[in-house]
Amino acid sequence: MEGDVLVIGGGAAGMETASRISDFNRNVILIEKEQELGGHILKWDRLFPDGIPASDVTKNLKESLGSTKVLLGCYITSIEKREDSNFFAQLNSGETIKCSSVIFATGFKLFPAQKKQEYGYGLYERVITNADLETRFKKGEGLGKDAPKRIGFVHCVGSRDEKICNNQCSKLCCITAVKQAIELKQLYPFAEIFCFYMDLRMYGRGYEDLYLEAQSKYEIRFIRGRVSEISQEQSGLVIVKAEDTLASRPLKITLDWVVLMAGIISERENDYLSQQLSLQLGEDGFIDSVDPIQKTNQTNIAGVFVTGSASGPKTLPEVINEARSTALSVNEYLNKIKNG
Amino acid sequence: MKERIIFGYDPFVIPFTLGVIFIMLYLGTGTVRILLTLTRKEALNLLNSIFSVKIFKTFKDILFDVLLHVKIFKRNILLGYMHASIAFGWFMLIFIGHIEVILYTPQRNGVIYYPVFFRYFVMETSQTLRGAFFFFLMDLFLLIVLSGIALAIYKRFRSVRLGMKRTTRLKTGDKIALWSLWMIFPLRLIAESFTADISGGSFLTSTINTLMGSLVESTVYMDTLWWAYSCALAIFLFALPFSRYMHIPTEILLIFLRNAGIKSSSSRDGFAESEIYSCSSCGICIDACPMSVVDKKSNYTSVYLLRKLRRRKEDSLFVAEQCLMCGKCVELCPVEIDSCRLKLLKKRENFPDQIFDYNYLSKKHPEFKSGINRPDREKVLYYAGCMTHLTPQIYTSLFNIMDKAQIDYSFMDRDGSICCGRPLILSGGERAAKELIKANSELILRANAGILLLSCPICFKVFKENYSLNGIKVMHHSQYINLLIKEGKIKLKKGDFSVVYHDPCDLGRGSDVYSEPREVISSAAVLKESSNLPAESICCGGSLASRRFSQSERESVTLHSLEKLNINNPEKLITACPLCLRSFSKFNKRETLDIAQLAEQQMI
Ligand code: SF4
Ligand code: SF4
Ligand code: SF4
Repeated sequence: MEGDVLVIGGGAAGMETASRISDFNRNVILIEKEQELGGHILKWDRLFPDGIPASDVTKNLKESLGSTKVLLGCYITSIEKREDSNFFAQLNSGETIKCSSVIFATGFKLFPAQKKQEYGYGLYERVITNADLETRFKKGEGLGKDAPKRIGFVHCVGSRDEKICNNQCSKLCCITAVKQAIELKQLYPFAEIFCFYMDLRMYGRGYEDLYLEAQSKYEIRFIRGRVSEISQEQSGLVIVKAEDTLASRPLKITLDWVVLMAGIISERENDYLSQQLSLQLGEDGFIDSVDPIQKTNQTNIAGVFVTGSASGPKTLPEVINEARSTALSVNEYLNKIKNG
Repeated sequence: MKERIIFGYDPFVIPFTLGVIFIMLYLGTGTVRILLTLTRKEALNLLNSIFSVKIFKTFKDILFDVLLHVKIFKRNILLGYMHASIAFGWFMLIFIGHIEVILYTPQRNGVIYYPVFFRYFVMETSQTLRGAFFFFLMDLFLLIVLSGIALAIYKRFRSVRLGMKRTTRLKTGDKIALWSLWMIFPLRLIAESFTADISGGSFLTSTINTLMGSLVESTVYMDTLWWAYSCALAIFLFALPFSRYMHIPTEILLIFLRNAGIKSSSSRDGFAESEIYSCSSCGICIDACPMSVVDKKSNYTSVYLLRKLRRRKEDSLFVAEQCLMCGKCVELCPVEIDSCRLKLLKKRENFPDQIFDYNYLSKKHPEFKSGINRPDREKVLYYAGCMTHLTPQIYTSLFNIMDKAQIDYSFMDRDGSICCGRPLILSGGERAAKELIKANSELILRANAGILLLSCPICFKVFKENYSLNGIKVMHHSQYINLLIKEGKIKLKKGDFSVVYHDPCDLGRGSDVYSEPREVISSAAVLKESSNLPAESICCGGSLASRRFSQSERESVTLHSLEKLNINNPEKLITACPLCLRSFSKFNKRETLDIAQLAEQQMI
């Protein structure tokens, strides 16, 4: 198969980039390893800050794909750049793709929470992750029929944590926790909800308001301090140990449920592709841009672009905006090689 | 054989004789100083060990360790040969020299320099058949020493060939001693060759004598060489106290003291001193030490700590605080220097005891419901400790196993615990740790259990060594699971996947538990070897002991350890320590499990 552009990854970043490039009457091929387009937000119920249903966003993104050729259930087994600047990619389906440009919209991975062993994820039934909670919201289950009395959110699970080798902030989880806490409070008005945070990163427009509302209107309690360990009582309830660093004292609290805010880490599964193309990765595993200010979506290899969370944690609006700018850069590049 | 020089004297013996007198006085005062620091009890023990059959063990140790260097042989044959050939060969040269004096010139018996320069002072007579035997022996041992020296020179420049990646950096004293040592034997060879036609020689010296032709007739050359030989010896003897070669005489004293059961009780007491000076700077501990994977940290390995202690350097505390206390250097040290103990003592001497307040211990005992009051003490008391609380999967699996085996157990620190005390001990707070030990002991004794079960080797070691628990059996869960299998209380089915086992430092080297975990694993999976012997397993990098390791430095240690473990490509890695489990599972691309998890999975 031949095309101008090959987009790897059918999440929000990949879809938006593909549709914008097709707008320039380019021939775009989009491959997605799953059987459905959408990526992470497929699992999400509603999106911060205003609670728009995630399925609406996916639907809109899909509809604007235009003439893009979409290959589902496909991934690249090997890829190379030839002398003539063309890329040749071998797919698992046996198909070969020839194209002039490749875009990594490979996204991120949620931190596997069981790696933070002291939190007992996978071991205790009532310790779940942010993604699990969204799935439950989506199925309309919430946290079950019996209204829970006390729920805790643990921020920065797998982020900002030297011990598990990930130093960066995932950006999205603080606001996601606030959003999910409010949603739970709406579902269970009598539940006490705690958020254990290191510091709150409410940088986006409307985030700070949501945080204030969470405190004043929903009476969610924010406790500054990292959770040191979680254990389980015989009854199945969970005990959280932390230090309240504002009050400077250790704290032990029994909760019905704990939600771990699993952070964003790089999708290491694609390292073989970056290796084959000699793409430069940062120490954190995300793809490096050639210039972190003006050429954020260009990589060290001409013709290879990166967009979305493949180059670091980003919120959805950021992803969408970046996808459009990537489309412009790719179009420019294609014009340039055509005109010699 | 008869004397050639009438008075049995020539001025060239003066440098050597002065050197010997100097070193005798030096060693004499040194020994007396060390002996004076011994307590009465230690001194009595020392006397007892000298005047009893124990002395044979001491002699055997001296022969094996000081002269033959058997332990180095076990590491690397060439390196062992190098040490043994020089030490044993030289010893034999001196020993046979004395025999010759006794046999042929008894009137010179007791003259210090005579045995060493024997060949200069005597001449062959017609009946030298008995002498010929000694000539041969002397040449043979000289050849052996020379081969050792040749290897030593080679090692200085190409250490990898002798199985060593790194070798110690030399100080001035070491260099002078080293060069003079290299010179001594070649000079002796040529000097003796010069006189070989007069005093007799064998395959080496006589041959060289013939080869040199008319040159040997020059007495000027001859005298110069004997002078040079004597001077080289003198330089070596004078440099000895300021060089690492002090280890040769000191190690003998150390063996006497050690066999008398004496231990160091401060980082600079008599025993410590004898250890410090016994270090031969062989450098084996540099390659052994996991710290060496971080380049700049190899400066903190035991050999350099000992050097700092020897020179009473202020930063020896800083160096002691680097160590991961994995014990590997102690395991491999050919002189058996307990450098870990010295580091602990150093830290203990600088521990800020006053700043801690343990009043809360008596006020706030953690509650645990002890259902244990059966008189037969069959019950098991489980203590997770802070580390296992961070890896709940270990005790969850262990409890499932115990439930299946229908064991009666209580969880002592389900709702929080008093620390076992070892982290404090490791940072030098031995006295402070006593408070914790007292509080914990009360709790444990109150429970009236038969077995105290632990998952963390760090706790295990301290409960075994620093607690007196009135006959309660202290067990690590790997031992206990093995016991349950042996008693038929649980059954495992052998999986067809392969695993490798990592010996946690405090369980293997620290507590000598090697076989039980392996027995459990062998009945659950196919056990593959790692590239290290069990006693040489490499720290996982998580050690609590070091205050000076950054996270990324720890990571390098972990990766190094993993690389050695996975050498035979096992499917899983099994360990028996919560700390190892945490360190390894971060980086290991293969599944990493605790032995309890493996046993639970394979339980039928
Ligand atoms: S966004 Fe908040 S919870 Fe997420 S990593 Fe950053 S600080 Fe932690
Ligand atoms: S401490 Fe032991 S192993 Fe290390 S250099 Fe000294 S003698 Fe060798
Ligand atoms: S105990 Fe371990 S870390 Fe410490 S010096 Fe010895 S080998 Fe190195």
